[in-house]
Amino acid sequence: MSRIVMRFTGVGGQGVLLAGEIFAAAKIKMGGYGVKTATYTSQVRGGPTVVDIQLDDEEIWYPYAIDGQIDFMLSVADKSYQLFKDGVTEGGIIVIDPNLVYPTDEDRKKWRIVEIPIITIAKEEVGNVITQSVVALAIANTFTNAIPEDVLIETMLSKVPKKVHEANLKAYELGKKYALEALEKMK
Amino acid sequence: MAREVISSGNDLAAMAAVDAGCMFFGGYPITPSSEVMHTISDLLPKVGGTCIQMEDEIGGICAAIGAAMSGVRSMTATSGPGMSLKAENLGLAQMAEVPLVVVDVMRGGPSTGLPTRVSQGDVAQAKNPSHGDYKSITLCAGDLTECYTETVRAFNLADRFMQPVIVLLDETIGHMHGKAVLPDLEEVKAGIKPRKTFDGPVEEYRPYGVAQDEPAVLNPMFKGYRYHFTGLHHDAMGFPTEEIETCRKLIDRLFRKVDEHRDELEYNEEYKLDDADILLIGYGSASLAIKEAINRLRDEGIKAGMFRPITLWPSPEERLFELGQKFDKVLSVELNQGQYLEEIQRAMGRKDIQKLTKTNGRPFSPQDIIDKVKEVF
Repeated sequence: MSRIVMRFTGVGGQGVLLAGEIFAAAKIKMGGYGVKTATYTSQVRGGPTVVDIQLDDEEIWYPYAIDGQIDFMLSVADKSYQLFKDGVTEGGIIVIDPNLVYPTDEDRKKWRIVEIPIITIAKEEVGNVITQSVVALAIANTFTNAIPEDVLIETMLSKVPKKVHEANLKAYELGKKYALEALEKMK
Repeated sequence: MAREVISSGNDLAAMAAVDAGCMFFGGYPITPSSEVMHTISDLLPKVGGTCIQMEDEIGGICAAIGAAMSGVRSMTATSGPGMSLKAENLGLAQMAEVPLVVVDVMRGGPSTGLPTRVSQGDVAQAKNPSHGDYKSITLCAGDLTECYTETVRAFNLADRFMQPVIVLLDETIGHMHGKAVLPDLEEVKAGIKPRKTFDGPVEEYRPYGVAQDEPAVLNPMFKGYRYHFTGLHHDAMGFPTEEIETCRKLIDRLFRKVDEHRDELEYNEEYKLDDADILLIGYGSASLAIKEAINRLRDEGIKAGMFRPITLWPSPEERLFELGQKFDKVLSVELNQGQYLEEIQRAMGRKDIQKLTKTNGRPFSPQDIIDKVKEVF
Protein backbone atom coordinates (compact mmCIF):
# COMPACT_ATOMS: atom_id res chain seq x y z
CA MET A 1 0.00 0.00 0.00
CA SER A 2 1.27 3.44 -0.76
CA ARG A 3 0.85 6.12 1.85
CA ILE A 4 -2.61 7.54 2.49
CA VAL A 5 -2.52 11.18 3.51
CA MET A 6 -5.63 12.94 4.78
CA ARG A 7 -6.27 16.33 6.30
CA PHE A 8 -9.24 17.32 8.45
CA THR A 9 -9.78 21.00 9.09
CA GLY A 10 -12.17 22.90 11.28
CA VAL A 11 -12.07 25.32 14.15
CA GLY A 12 -11.01 24.60 17.71
CA GLY A 13 -13.73 22.91 19.74
CA GLN A 14 -15.39 21.07 16.85
CA GLY A 15 -13.79 17.80 17.79
CA VAL A 16 -12.09 16.92 14.51
CA LEU A 17 -9.16 15.45 16.45
CA LEU A 18 -10.93 12.22 17.32
CA ALA A 19 -11.42 11.02 13.74
CA GLY A 20 -7.66 11.26 13.18
CA GLU A 21 -6.89 9.22 16.28
CA ILE A 22 -9.34 6.53 15.19
CA PHE A 23 -7.74 6.24 11.75
CA ALA A 24 -4.23 5.98 13.19
CA ALA A 25 -5.26 3.46 15.83
CA ALA A 26 -7.09 1.27 13.31
CA LYS A 27 -4.11 1.18 10.98
CA ILE A 28 -1.76 0.29 13.83
CA LYS A 29 -4.14 -2.47 14.96
CA MET A 30 -3.74 -3.96 11.51
CA GLY A 31 0.02 -4.08 11.95
CA GLY A 32 0.79 -0.92 9.97
CA TYR A 33 1.84 2.58 10.92
CA GLY A 34 -0.41 5.53 11.57
CA VAL A 35 0.41 9.02 12.77
CA LYS A 36 -1.87 11.88 13.68
CA THR A 37 -0.76 15.43 14.30
CA ALA A 38 -2.93 18.39 15.18
CA THR A 39 -2.02 22.00 14.72
CA TYR A 40 -4.07 24.65 16.39
CA THR A 41 -3.82 28.23 17.54
CA SER A 42 -3.73 29.54 21.09
CA GLN A 43 -7.40 30.56 20.87
CA VAL A 44 -9.37 28.18 23.08
CA ARG A 45 -12.26 27.97 20.63
CA GLY A 46 -12.70 29.30 17.14
CA GLY A 47 -9.11 29.18 15.91
CA PRO A 48 -8.33 27.27 12.73
CA THR A 49 -7.42 23.67 13.45
CA VAL A 50 -5.81 21.16 11.15
CA VAL A 51 -5.41 17.46 11.72
CA ASP A 52 -3.07 15.48 9.50
CA ILE A 53 -3.38 11.73 9.21
CA GLN A 54 -0.85 9.48 7.53
CA LEU A 55 -1.31 5.75 7.16
CA ASP A 56 1.29 3.40 5.72
CA ASP A 57 2.58 -0.16 5.86
CA GLU A 58 6.10 1.25 6.17
CA GLU A 59 7.38 3.31 9.10
CA ILE A 60 6.45 6.98 8.95
CA TRP A 61 9.14 9.38 10.19
CA TYR A 62 7.88 12.87 9.49
CA PRO A 63 4.52 13.24 11.22
CA TYR A 64 2.94 16.06 9.21
CA ALA A 65 1.22 15.82 5.85
CA ILE A 66 3.32 17.50 3.20
CA ASP A 67 1.57 20.28 1.28
CA GLY A 68 0.98 19.22 -2.29
CA GLN A 69 0.80 15.54 -1.35
CA ILE A 70 -2.64 15.48 0.29
CA ASP A 71 -5.22 13.47 -1.66
CA PHE A 72 -8.16 13.98 0.64
CA MET A 73 -9.27 16.88 2.79
CA LEU A 74 -12.41 17.38 4.79
CA SER A 75 -13.39 20.81 6.03
CA VAL A 76 -16.11 22.09 8.32
CA ALA A 77 -15.01 25.71 8.68
CA ASP A 78 -14.35 28.29 6.00
CA LYS A 79 -11.37 30.01 7.58
CA SER A 80 -9.47 26.75 7.91
CA TYR A 81 -10.59 25.64 4.45
CA GLN A 82 -9.13 28.81 2.94
CA LEU A 83 -5.95 28.48 4.98
CA PHE A 84 -5.19 24.84 4.22
CA LYS A 85 -6.79 24.04 0.84
CA ASP A 86 -3.58 24.65 -1.09
CA GLY A 87 -2.00 21.57 0.47
CA VAL A 88 -4.34 19.36 -1.55
CA THR A 89 -3.02 17.94 -4.83
CA GLU A 90 -4.69 19.19 -7.98
CA GLY A 91 -7.63 16.96 -8.74
CA GLY A 92 -7.77 15.78 -5.11
CA ILE A 93 -11.02 15.40 -3.23
CA ILE A 94 -12.19 18.04 -0.77
CA VAL A 95 -15.35 17.28 1.20
CA ILE A 96 -16.93 20.41 2.62
CA ASP A 97 -19.95 21.25 4.69
CA PRO A 98 -21.73 23.61 2.24
CA ASN A 99 -23.38 25.50 5.09
CA LEU A 100 -20.02 26.50 6.54
CA VAL A 101 -17.46 26.44 3.73
CA TYR A 102 -17.56 28.58 0.62
CA PRO A 103 -15.25 27.47 -2.19
CA THR A 104 -14.68 29.76 -5.18
CA ASP A 105 -15.44 28.76 -8.76
CA GLU A 106 -11.73 28.46 -9.32
CA ASP A 107 -11.47 26.02 -6.41
CA ARG A 108 -14.14 23.89 -8.04
CA LYS A 109 -12.03 23.66 -11.19
CA LYS A 110 -8.86 22.80 -9.32
CA TRP A 111 -10.22 20.16 -6.95
CA ARG A 112 -13.11 17.73 -6.85
CA ILE A 113 -15.25 19.46 -4.27
CA VAL A 114 -17.94 17.35 -2.65
CA GLU A 115 -20.69 18.96 -0.59
CA ILE A 116 -22.03 17.01 2.36
CA PRO A 117 -23.82 18.84 5.21
CA ILE A 118 -21.79 17.07 7.92
CA ILE A 119 -22.84 19.23 10.86
CA THR A 120 -26.53 19.15 9.91
CA ILE A 121 -26.44 15.37 9.56
CA ALA A 122 -24.93 15.03 13.03
CA LYS A 123 -27.22 17.60 14.61
CA GLU A 124 -30.51 16.71 12.99
CA GLU A 125 -30.37 13.16 11.64
CA VAL A 126 -28.23 11.61 14.40
CA GLY A 127 -29.45 14.07 17.00
CA ASN A 128 -26.06 14.75 18.58
CA VAL A 129 -23.66 17.31 17.15
CA ILE A 130 -20.67 15.62 18.79
CA THR A 131 -21.06 12.68 16.40
CA GLN A 132 -19.85 14.92 13.55
CA SER A 133 -16.37 13.46 13.88
CA VAL A 134 -17.74 9.97 13.24
CA VAL A 135 -19.80 11.23 10.29
CA ALA A 136 -16.54 12.69 8.98
CA LEU A 137 -14.70 9.43 9.70
CA ALA A 138 -17.19 7.44 7.63
CA ILE A 139 -17.06 9.92 4.76
CA ALA A 140 -13.26 9.94 4.71
CA ASN A 141 -13.04 6.17 4.75
CA THR A 142 -15.65 5.76 2.05
CA PHE A 143 -13.67 8.06 -0.23
CA THR A 144 -10.19 6.73 0.57
CA ASN A 145 -10.84 3.05 1.41
CA ALA A 146 -8.05 3.48 3.94
CA ILE A 147 -9.20 0.92 6.49
CA PRO A 148 -11.52 -2.12 6.25
CA GLU A 149 -14.85 -0.94 7.60
CA ASP A 150 -15.21 -3.53 10.36
CA VAL A 151 -11.78 -2.66 11.82
CA LEU A 152 -12.53 1.06 11.69
CA ILE A 153 -15.93 0.72 13.36
CA GLU A 154 -14.52 -1.55 16.06
CA THR A 155 -11.74 0.97 16.76
CA MET A 156 -14.23 3.83 16.79
CA LEU A 157 -16.46 2.07 19.31
CA SER A 158 -13.47 1.42 21.56
CA LYS A 159 -12.82 5.19 21.71
CA VAL A 160 -16.31 6.47 22.57
CA PRO A 161 -18.36 5.84 25.74
CA LYS A 162 -20.73 2.87 25.61
CA LYS A 163 -23.86 4.95 26.09
CA VAL A 164 -23.25 6.70 22.76
CA HIS A 165 -22.34 3.57 20.77
CA GLU A 166 -25.71 3.49 19.07
CA ALA A 167 -25.62 7.16 18.09
CA ASN A 168 -22.13 6.79 16.69
CA LEU A 169 -23.02 3.68 14.71
CA LYS A 170 -25.90 5.65 13.24
CA ALA A 171 -23.54 8.53 12.50
CA TYR A 172 -21.18 6.14 10.71
CA GLU A 173 -23.96 4.66 8.58
CA LEU A 174 -25.27 8.10 7.64
CA GLY A 175 -21.82 9.40 6.76
CA LYS A 176 -21.25 6.37 4.57
CA LYS A 177 -24.65 6.75 2.89
CA TYR A 178 -24.06 10.40 2.01
CA ALA A 179 -20.54 9.65 0.78
CA LEU A 180 -21.74 6.81 -1.45
CA GLU A 181 -24.43 9.08 -2.90
CA ALA A 182 -21.83 11.75 -3.58
CA LEU A 183 -19.53 9.20 -5.22
CA GLU A 184 -22.40 8.04 -7.41
CA LYS A 185 -23.00 11.65 -8.54
CA MET A 186 -19.31 12.10 -9.38
CA LYS A 187 -19.31 9.18 -11.81
CA MET B 1 7.64 -8.69 26.19
CA ALA B 2 7.85 -5.36 24.43
CA ARG B 3 4.59 -3.43 24.53
CA GLU B 4 3.00 -1.76 21.56
CA VAL B 5 0.88 1.25 22.49
CA ILE B 6 -0.92 3.98 20.59
CA SER B 7 -0.37 7.22 22.38
CA SER B 8 1.05 10.73 22.34
CA GLY B 9 4.48 11.89 23.50
CA ASN B 10 3.15 13.73 26.54
CA ASP B 11 1.05 10.77 27.66
CA LEU B 12 4.04 8.47 27.20
CA ALA B 13 6.22 10.69 29.40
CA ALA B 14 3.60 10.49 32.15
CA MET B 15 3.28 6.72 31.75
CA ALA B 16 7.05 6.31 31.84
CA ALA B 17 7.32 8.30 35.05
CA VAL B 18 4.85 6.04 36.85
CA ASP B 19 6.48 2.89 35.45
CA ALA B 20 9.86 4.21 36.64
CA GLY B 21 8.52 4.50 40.17
CA CYS B 22 7.66 8.20 40.30
CA MET B 23 5.33 8.80 43.25
CA PHE B 24 4.94 12.56 43.16
CA PHE B 25 4.14 15.19 40.61
CA GLY B 26 3.95 18.85 41.50
CA GLY B 27 3.18 21.25 38.70
CA TYR B 28 1.09 23.82 36.97
CA PRO B 29 -0.36 23.04 33.54
CA ILE B 30 0.93 24.94 30.54
CA THR B 31 0.55 24.37 26.80
CA PRO B 32 1.97 22.27 25.20
CA SER B 33 2.91 20.18 28.24
CA SER B 34 -0.50 20.02 29.97
CA GLU B 35 -1.26 16.42 28.99
CA VAL B 36 1.73 15.22 31.01
CA MET B 37 0.01 16.54 34.11
CA HIS B 38 -3.50 15.47 33.03
CA THR B 39 -2.36 11.91 32.48
CA ILE B 40 -0.16 11.60 35.54
CA SER B 41 -2.96 13.02 37.72
CA ASP B 42 -4.98 10.02 36.60
CA LEU B 43 -2.19 7.44 36.93
CA LEU B 44 -0.48 8.42 40.20
CA PRO B 45 -3.40 7.93 42.62
CA LYS B 46 -3.86 4.41 41.26
CA VAL B 47 -0.38 3.44 42.49
CA GLY B 48 -0.65 5.33 45.78
CA GLY B 49 1.18 8.39 44.47
CA THR B 50 0.28 12.06 44.63
CA CYS B 51 -0.24 14.71 42.01
CA ILE B 52 -0.77 18.27 43.09
CA GLN B 53 -1.56 21.35 41.06
CA MET B 54 0.20 24.21 42.80
CA GLU B 55 -0.52 27.92 42.55
CA ASP B 56 2.05 28.40 39.79
CA GLU B 57 5.14 26.86 38.19
CA ILE B 58 7.38 27.94 41.05
CA GLY B 59 5.13 26.20 43.56
CA GLY B 60 5.16 23.15 41.31
CA ILE B 61 8.90 22.63 41.37
CA CYS B 62 9.15 23.53 45.06
CA ALA B 63 6.61 20.82 45.90
CA ALA B 64 8.49 18.36 43.70
CA ILE B 65 11.80 19.20 45.42
CA GLY B 66 10.19 18.71 48.83
CA ALA B 67 8.81 15.32 47.80
CA ALA B 68 12.22 14.28 46.48
CA MET B 69 13.79 15.22 49.85
CA SER B 70 11.44 12.73 51.49
CA GLY B 71 13.03 10.01 49.37
CA VAL B 72 10.49 9.41 46.58
CA ARG B 73 10.99 9.81 42.87
CA SER B 74 9.50 13.15 41.92
CA MET B 75 8.72 15.11 38.80
CA THR B 76 7.39 18.30 37.31
CA ALA B 77 6.53 19.19 33.72
CA THR B 78 6.23 22.51 31.97
CA SER B 79 7.10 24.54 28.90
CA GLY B 80 9.56 27.39 28.31
CA PRO B 81 7.80 30.10 30.33
CA GLY B 82 7.52 27.63 33.21
CA MET B 83 11.22 26.76 32.92
CA SER B 84 12.02 30.43 33.37
CA LEU B 85 9.91 30.53 36.53
CA LYS B 86 11.41 27.30 37.83
CA ALA B 87 14.96 28.43 37.16
CA GLU B 88 15.78 29.64 40.67
CA ASN B 89 14.69 26.36 42.20
CA LEU B 90 16.46 24.30 39.56
CA GLY B 91 19.56 26.04 40.85
CA LEU B 92 18.62 25.13 44.41
CA ALA B 93 18.20 21.48 43.41
CA GLN B 94 21.62 21.58 41.71
CA MET B 95 23.29 23.09 44.75
CA ALA B 96 21.58 20.94 47.37
CA GLU B 97 21.78 17.86 45.07
CA VAL B 98 18.14 16.93 44.87
CA PRO B 99 17.18 14.30 42.28
CA LEU B 100 14.27 15.45 40.17
CA VAL B 101 12.91 14.99 36.65
CA VAL B 102 11.75 18.07 34.78
CA VAL B 103 9.97 17.57 31.46
CA ASP B 104 10.05 20.69 29.26
CA VAL B 105 7.79 20.49 26.23
CA MET B 106 9.24 23.30 24.14
CA ARG B 107 7.11 25.93 22.40
CA GLY B 108 7.97 29.15 20.62
CA GLY B 109 9.58 31.82 22.77
CA PRO B 110 10.95 34.05 24.22
CA SER B 111 8.41 35.02 26.86
CA THR B 112 4.93 33.60 26.21
CA GLY B 113 5.91 33.34 22.55
CA LEU B 114 3.84 30.91 20.49
CA PRO B 115 1.96 28.74 22.99
CA THR B 116 0.70 26.05 20.61
CA ARG B 117 3.62 25.94 18.21
CA VAL B 118 6.81 23.98 18.01
CA SER B 119 10.30 25.22 18.82
CA GLN B 120 13.62 23.96 20.14
CA GLY B 121 14.40 27.26 21.75
CA ASP B 122 15.04 26.01 25.29
CA VAL B 123 18.18 24.05 24.48
CA ALA B 124 20.60 26.74 25.61
CA GLN B 125 18.48 27.46 28.67
CA ALA B 126 18.54 23.79 29.65
CA LYS B 127 22.34 23.94 29.86
CA ASN B 128 22.28 26.64 32.51
CA PRO B 129 18.73 27.40 33.65
CA SER B 130 19.79 29.44 36.67
CA HIS B 131 22.71 31.52 37.83
CA GLY B 132 25.84 29.86 39.17
CA ASP B 133 28.15 27.07 38.09
CA TYR B 134 27.02 23.48 37.69
CA LYS B 135 26.67 20.79 35.05
CA SER B 136 23.21 20.21 33.66
CA ILE B 137 22.05 16.83 32.46
CA THR B 138 19.56 17.21 29.61
CA LEU B 139 18.03 14.47 27.49
CA CYS B 140 16.04 15.03 24.30
CA ALA B 141 13.49 12.56 22.91
CA GLY B 142 13.43 12.13 19.13
CA ASP B 143 10.37 9.92 18.67
CA LEU B 144 7.36 8.61 20.58
CA THR B 145 9.18 5.61 22.01
CA GLU B 146 11.89 7.86 23.40
CA CYS B 147 9.34 10.04 25.17
CA TYR B 148 8.93 6.95 27.31
CA THR B 149 12.45 5.54 27.43
CA GLU B 150 14.20 8.89 28.00
CA THR B 151 11.85 9.74 30.86
CA VAL B 152 12.68 6.40 32.47
CA ARG B 153 16.39 7.04 31.91
CA ALA B 154 16.04 10.51 33.40
CA PHE B 155 14.74 9.10 36.69
CA ASN B 156 17.64 6.65 36.93
CA LEU B 157 20.18 9.36 36.11
CA ALA B 158 18.63 11.81 38.59
CA ASP B 159 19.09 9.28 41.39
CA ARG B 160 22.56 8.31 40.20
CA PHE B 161 23.86 11.88 39.91
CA MET B 162 21.64 13.47 42.56
CA GLN B 163 20.52 16.46 40.55
CA PRO B 164 17.66 17.57 38.32
CA VAL B 165 17.55 15.90 34.92
CA ILE B 166 15.73 17.80 32.18
CA VAL B 167 13.84 15.89 29.49
CA LEU B 168 13.22 18.05 26.45
CA LEU B 169 10.23 17.25 24.29
CA ASP B 170 8.67 19.73 21.91
CA GLU B 171 5.16 20.54 20.74
CA THR B 172 5.41 18.24 17.74
CA ILE B 173 6.60 15.21 19.63
CA GLY B 174 4.50 15.90 22.73
CA HIS B 175 1.28 16.08 20.76
CA MET B 176 1.87 13.65 17.91
CA HIS B 177 -0.18 10.52 18.22
CA GLY B 178 0.86 7.14 16.89
CA LYS B 179 2.58 3.86 17.61
CA ALA B 180 5.28 3.45 20.21
CA VAL B 181 7.04 0.23 21.10
CA LEU B 182 7.89 0.25 24.78
CA PRO B 183 10.26 -1.99 26.69
CA ASP B 184 8.85 -4.75 28.85
CA LEU B 185 7.45 -3.36 32.12
CA GLU B 186 9.33 -5.88 34.24
CA GLU B 187 12.52 -4.85 32.48
CA VAL B 188 11.82 -1.18 33.30
CA LYS B 189 11.14 -2.04 36.92
CA ALA B 190 14.24 -4.23 37.14
CA GLY B 191 16.27 -1.32 35.74
CA ILE B 192 15.25 1.06 38.51
CA LYS B 193 18.36 1.99 40.43
CA PRO B 194 17.30 3.75 43.61
CA ARG B 195 19.49 6.51 44.98
CA LYS B 196 22.25 5.60 47.41
CA THR B 197 21.53 5.84 51.10
CA PHE B 198 23.79 5.71 54.13
CA ASP B 199 22.87 3.06 56.69
CA GLY B 200 25.83 3.30 59.06
CA PRO B 201 25.79 4.95 62.50
CA VAL B 202 23.92 8.26 62.54
CA GLU B 203 26.90 10.11 64.02
CA GLU B 204 29.07 9.11 61.06
CA TYR B 205 26.65 10.36 58.39
CA ARG B 206 28.20 13.08 56.17
CA PRO B 207 25.75 13.58 53.27
CA TYR B 208 28.00 15.97 51.37
CA GLY B 209 31.28 14.51 52.56
CA VAL B 210 31.82 12.27 49.55
CA ALA B 211 34.57 11.61 46.98
CA GLN B 212 35.31 14.50 44.60
CA ASP B 213 33.70 12.74 41.64
CA GLU B 214 30.62 11.50 43.47
CA PRO B 215 27.21 13.01 44.27
CA ALA B 216 25.89 13.64 47.75
CA VAL B 217 24.27 10.77 49.63
CA LEU B 218 20.99 12.22 50.86
CA ASN B 219 18.96 9.92 53.05
CA PRO B 220 15.21 10.55 53.09
CA MET B 221 14.44 13.29 55.59
CA PHE B 222 12.71 12.49 58.89
CA LYS B 223 14.12 8.98 59.08
CA GLY B 224 16.66 9.64 61.79
CA TYR B 225 19.58 10.87 59.68
CA ARG B 226 19.75 14.61 60.18
CA TYR B 227 21.42 17.15 57.92
CA HIS B 228 20.98 20.71 56.83
CA PHE B 229 19.44 21.65 53.48
CA THR B 230 20.48 24.94 51.87
CA GLY B 231 21.26 26.77 48.66
CA LEU B 232 24.25 28.39 50.37
CA HIS B 233 27.72 26.93 50.04
CA HIS B 234 27.80 24.18 52.62
CA ASP B 235 30.01 21.73 54.45
CA ALA B 236 29.80 17.94 54.71
CA MET B 237 26.72 18.20 56.95
CA GLY B 238 25.01 20.75 54.73
CA PHE B 239 25.60 23.71 57.06
CA PRO B 240 26.45 27.05 55.45
CA THR B 241 30.12 27.89 55.29
CA GLU B 242 32.45 30.32 53.57
CA GLU B 243 35.55 28.31 54.33
CA ILE B 244 37.77 28.76 51.28
CA GLU B 245 38.70 25.17 50.51
CA THR B 246 35.22 23.79 51.22
CA CYS B 247 33.65 26.29 48.79
CA ARG B 248 36.18 25.47 46.08
CA LYS B 249 35.73 21.74 46.49
CA LEU B 250 31.94 21.92 46.44
CA ILE B 251 31.64 23.49 42.99
CA ASP B 252 34.53 21.42 41.72
CA ARG B 253 32.64 18.31 42.80
CA LEU B 254 29.35 19.44 41.16
CA PHE B 255 31.30 19.49 37.88
CA ARG B 256 33.41 16.40 38.38
CA LYS B 257 30.54 14.15 39.46
CA VAL B 258 29.18 14.63 35.92
CA ASP B 259 32.33 15.19 33.87
CA GLU B 260 34.14 12.13 35.15
CA HIS B 261 31.20 9.85 34.39
CA ARG B 262 30.26 11.05 30.92
CA ASP B 263 30.33 7.46 29.70
CA GLU B 264 27.24 6.80 31.82
CA LEU B 265 25.45 9.73 30.20
CA GLU B 266 26.38 9.82 26.54
CA TYR B 267 23.73 8.44 24.21
CA ASN B 268 23.48 9.18 20.49
CA GLU B 269 21.88 7.84 17.35
CA GLU B 270 23.86 7.52 14.12
CA TYR B 271 21.53 7.13 11.15
CA LYS B 272 22.92 5.95 7.81
CA LEU B 273 26.30 7.52 8.61
CA ASP B 274 28.56 4.64 7.56
CA ASP B 275 28.66 5.43 3.85
CA ALA B 276 27.55 9.07 4.04
CA ASP B 277 29.30 12.04 2.43
CA ILE B 278 27.14 14.64 4.13
CA LEU B 279 26.63 14.85 7.87
CA LEU B 280 23.38 16.29 9.19
CA ILE B 281 23.16 17.01 12.90
CA GLY B 282 19.82 17.40 14.60
CA TYR B 283 17.83 16.30 17.62
CA GLY B 284 14.26 16.06 18.89
CA SER B 285 11.41 16.33 16.42
CA ALA B 286 13.65 17.96 13.79
CA SER B 287 15.29 14.56 13.38
CA LEU B 288 12.02 13.13 12.01
CA ALA B 289 12.13 15.54 9.07
CA ILE B 290 15.88 14.88 8.74
CA LYS B 291 15.36 11.11 8.44
CA GLU B 292 12.71 11.56 5.79
CA ALA B 293 14.98 14.00 3.94
CA ILE B 294 17.94 11.60 4.11
CA ASN B 295 15.89 8.80 2.58
CA ARG B 296 14.69 11.03 -0.23
CA LEU B 297 18.19 12.42 -0.86
CA ARG B 298 19.52 8.88 -1.07
CA ASP B 299 16.84 8.05 -3.65
CA GLU B 300 18.50 10.77 -5.73
CA GLY B 301 21.97 9.37 -5.08
CA ILE B 302 23.01 11.96 -2.47
CA LYS B 303 24.50 10.11 0.48
CA ALA B 304 23.55 11.93 3.64
CA GLY B 305 23.44 10.59 7.20
CA MET B 306 22.53 11.93 10.60
CA PHE B 307 24.15 12.25 13.99
CA ARG B 308 21.57 12.80 16.70
CA PRO B 309 22.60 13.50 20.28
CA ILE B 310 19.96 12.12 22.67
CA THR B 311 21.86 13.33 25.72
CA LEU B 312 22.24 17.00 24.76
CA TRP B 313 24.04 18.10 27.93
CA PRO B 314 26.76 17.23 28.59
CA SER B 315 27.33 17.19 24.86
CA PRO B 316 29.00 14.25 23.08
CA GLU B 317 32.05 16.43 22.44
CA GLU B 318 34.52 13.68 21.63
CA ARG B 319 32.26 12.00 19.10
CA LEU B 320 31.46 15.39 17.59
CA PHE B 321 35.18 16.08 17.25
CA GLU B 322 35.73 12.74 15.49
CA LEU B 323 32.84 13.36 13.13
CA GLY B 324 34.15 16.85 12.41
CA GLN B 325 37.44 15.27 11.33
CA LYS B 326 35.71 12.68 9.18
CA PHE B 327 33.11 14.81 7.42
CA ASP B 328 33.86 17.81 5.32
CA LYS B 329 30.23 18.70 4.72
CA VAL B 330 28.31 19.30 7.93
CA LEU B 331 24.85 20.85 8.29
CA SER B 332 23.25 21.58 11.66
CA VAL B 333 19.44 21.60 11.67
CA GLU B 334 17.51 23.01 14.62
CA LEU B 335 14.31 24.89 15.42
CA ASN B 336 16.11 27.88 16.94
CA GLN B 337 18.72 30.30 15.68
CA GLY B 338 21.60 27.91 16.26
CA GLN B 339 21.78 27.21 19.99
CA TYR B 340 23.38 23.80 19.63
CA LEU B 341 25.37 24.88 16.59
CA GLU B 342 27.65 26.82 18.94
CA GLU B 343 28.35 23.62 20.85
CA ILE B 344 29.00 21.70 17.63
CA GLN B 345 31.44 24.40 16.49
CA ARG B 346 33.20 24.30 19.84
CA ALA B 347 33.43 20.51 19.97
CA MET B 348 34.53 20.17 16.35
CA GLY B 349 36.86 23.16 16.52
CA ARG B 350 35.39 24.34 13.23
CA LYS B 351 33.56 27.47 12.14
CA ASP B 352 32.46 26.25 8.70
CA ILE B 353 29.40 24.31 9.79
CA GLN B 354 26.36 25.10 7.66
CA LYS B 355 23.12 25.79 9.45
CA LEU B 356 19.41 25.49 8.80
CA THR B 357 17.27 27.19 11.41
CA LYS B 358 13.63 28.13 11.83
CA THR B 359 11.92 30.19 14.51
CA ASN B 360 8.42 30.89 13.23
CA GLY B 361 6.71 28.16 15.22
CA ARG B 362 6.46 25.84 12.24
CA PRO B 363 8.24 22.51 11.90
CA PHE B 364 10.87 21.80 9.25
CA SER B 365 9.52 19.93 6.29
CA PRO B 366 11.78 17.32 4.70
CA GLN B 367 11.84 19.54 1.60
CA ASP B 368 13.34 22.44 3.63
CA ILE B 369 16.27 20.18 4.47
CA ILE B 370 16.64 18.73 0.97
CA ASP B 371 16.69 22.24 -0.52
CA LYS B 372 19.31 23.41 2.00
CA VAL B 373 21.56 20.40 1.37
CA LYS B 374 21.41 21.04 -2.39
CA GLU B 375 22.01 24.75 -1.90
CA VAL B 376 25.10 24.57 0.31
CA PHE B 377 26.88 21.39 -0.78
